[in-house]
Amino acid sequence: MTCPLLVYRELPNVDAAEPRAYCTAAEEFVQAMRADICNDRYALEHGRDCEIYRAHADEADE
Amino acid sequence: MSYEDFLADRPVIVTAALTGGVHGKEANPNVPETPDEIANAAAEAEAAGASVVHLHAREPNGERSFSTARFQEIADAVRARTDDVILQHSTGGTAAPDELRAQPLRTDPAPEMASLDMGPLNRYDRLTSENTRGLVDDLYDEMVERGIKPELEVFNNGHLNEVYGLLERRELDSPVYTTLIFGPGTLTRPTPQNFLTLVDDLPEDAAFNTLGFGRHQLPFATMGILFGGHVRVGLEDNVYYRRGQLAESNAQLVERVVAVARKLGREVASPSQARDMLGLDA
Repeated sequence: MTCPLLVYRELPNVDAAEPRAYCTAAEEFVQAMRADICNDRYALEHGRDCEIYRAHADEADE
Repeated sequence: MSYEDFLADRPVIVTAALTGGVHGKEANPNVPETPDEIANAAAEAEAAGASVVHLHAREPNGERSFSTARFQEIADAVRARTDDVILQHSTGGTAAPDELRAQPLRTDPAPEMASLDMGPLNRYDRLTSENTRGLVDDLYDEMVERGIKPELEVFNNGHLNEVYGLLERRELDSPVYTTLIFGPGTLTRPTPQNFLTLVDDLPEDAAFNTLGFGRHQLPFATMGILFGGHVRVGLEDNVYYRRGQLAESNAQLVERVVAVARKLGREVASPSQARDMLGLDA
């Protein structure tokens, strides 16, 4: 299941074709590798593997 | 390789690591991500003096891709836009399952080179890129089958043991080509003493490429040049030109290291010279 703290937004002032992964807890766009954790790709799981989610789990609406 | 190699006037091979798979345009808007952007960056880097381009693949939103199809699209675009540059596909991929890691090797034609991560490294607070010996062997065997020269990525000095281990398990063609990596976290701590120790500890007749992350890119490239090694620069490893100033392009970073090499008396290898030095088929 995708991290509830993840949204996709357009990168400001950058000619990027598609919206990009943004962490509403960290309040920043996330790196490509971290986006795989946010999206629980492969065997990743944000509740286990993301330190940002773990620190903000009480803000998340799973 | 050693200071003697510097004195012997051997040309330096410059690798441009154009995009990577960790950070992207959120870190520096000039990081190329699409096949078109990567191909343009490769052409500019080649014109600036790079003879090898190290390639990762990304989805249209900048996220990681390991698929053969996406690598094919990028490789085709790079080949169409460049003259003679050597393509080196990454097989790195923290947390990606083993079956995806070989996908970048399966383009047609195969890349002339591919990276091979020699062991585990930590990412963020809770991830480890495992790179087990079994995976290293599997990727190596597929590279041999496809005529691809492996670039052995030594993220720390324990990984040099892994290079020696691979040499015991497999018969590698000479020269064994390593990349010595310096920086934070699991990487070798970026000190000149550690650089010298690693260079001194390399297998006989091994060649080395020097990679410093972030602010260590320029000083470690310079040490690599002085000690007869080769160098890797680019936005995958460092998004800044100097403190507080984002790099404008991969080519800007290549131009700077080419100027340093020439100032220090080493010529920069053309792709053809790099092929000869690395034992690649023309």
